[in-house]
Amino acid sequence: MRRLTPMIVVLLLAAVVQAQDEKSKYKARYDAQASNKKVDPHDLSGIWQLTKNDHSLGTPAPPLTAAGQAAKAGRMPDAGGANGNAPWYACNPMGFPRLVNDDEPMEFIMTPNRILQLFQSEHRIRMLWTDGRPVPSGENLENLGPAWYGHSVAKWNGNTLVVNTVGLDDRAWLDNVGNPKSFHARIEEQWRRVDYNTLELQMTLYDPEYYTAPYVGSKKIYKRTPDEAMTYFGWNGLFAGITESICAPMNEVDGYNKFRDLGRSKPTDR
Amino acid sequence: MNRLLTLVALIAVLSASLLAHHGRGATYDMKKRVTLKGTVSRVEWRNPHVLIYMDVKDADGKVVTWGFENSGVSTLAQEGYNRNTLKVGQPITAIVNPAANGAPTAIVVKIVLADGSEIMSRDNGENPAN
Repeated sequence: MRRLTPMIVVLLLAAVVQAQDEKSKYKARYDAQASNKKVDPHDLSGIWQLTKNDHSLGTPAPPLTAAGQAAKAGRMPDAGGANGNAPWYACNPMGFPRLVNDDEPMEFIMTPNRILQLFQSEHRIRMLWTDGRPVPSGENLENLGPAWYGHSVAKWNGNTLVVNTVGLDDRAWLDNVGNPKSFHARIEEQWRRVDYNTLELQMTLYDPEYYTAPYVGSKKIYKRTPDEAMTYFGWNGLFAGITESICAPMNEVDGYNKFRDLGRSKPTDR
Repeated sequence: MNRLLTLVALIAVLSASLLAHHGRGATYDMKKRVTLKGTVSRVEWRNPHVLIYMDVKDADGKVVTWGFENSGVSTLAQEGYNRNTLKVGQPITAIVNPAANGAPTAIVVKIVLADGSEIMSRDNGENPAN
């Protein structure tokens, strides 16, 4: 390893040395703002990005019930560099919680009665109600019916924001491997602002219809995007930090995938 | 060393964005590199991946239009590129991994401008078209 380290350093340097002036500048400012700024732990504002590219709850799923296995049947995750059959490849919504576990940036926007999350993927907004309304249940939930992003209620427990989401559409995959979730599932998120640059998220799925035990996710870390990236043209020409990463069938299906199909021996091999 | 690793980690996180969800399986021959010399004929500056087309003369003098894919708009913009970085008619040399089936489509390795400078280089991590 000792012999390897200089080589790794050289390779890393070679990989980053060009066109990194902007980011080096951000890095310096990023460090400066970390030491200079005080944090209100109830203010999650900012643009955040997961530090680890993991589109799942981050832990192995507990065993599925028979109904859970039936719901998962036919779902093919990506394998060997080829895409599986996840619904988002056809521009369907990722749904909750898959979108929260995506690797693209997310912005928290604090308002008096709602906390909003704006996701770059899908350019999607999620509303976490903090006005004291109860989590929908029973007849109310049955009447509301399923939604791709469910119905979310949030409250502060000390410095932890606890979000409960119910009423999820079972067509959306829980994660990148195709685990299921039922309409009657509840997902609890615990968000905590650790310091100026760091957010922690821990997520647990309660779904006795599809799982034999609660599915407790790992602790995930988000880092704050430097403030400079949020100003006009901060990212070298982007108008704002969160941009529109919209899966539009006109782009995706007619444009990009058709382009890729030209180079495929089998057009269905995505 | 720690600072370098932190910087590398930060860059990796920033550049991991956009459309890591497209596998490139079975499309391109990643072991093969082709050098294309020609002129830019079209720039499709949009997500999910930016497509750049160029006219290349083959050995018989016949013009073949090649297209090669790049990362998405956000990622390229963060690297300092924009919709007018490459203009129609501009002479460029593109190093690409070509389609496995021989079609004139490819994924970028890097682009060399007339003055010899290299841009949008996947080699240098500026264009993570995955």
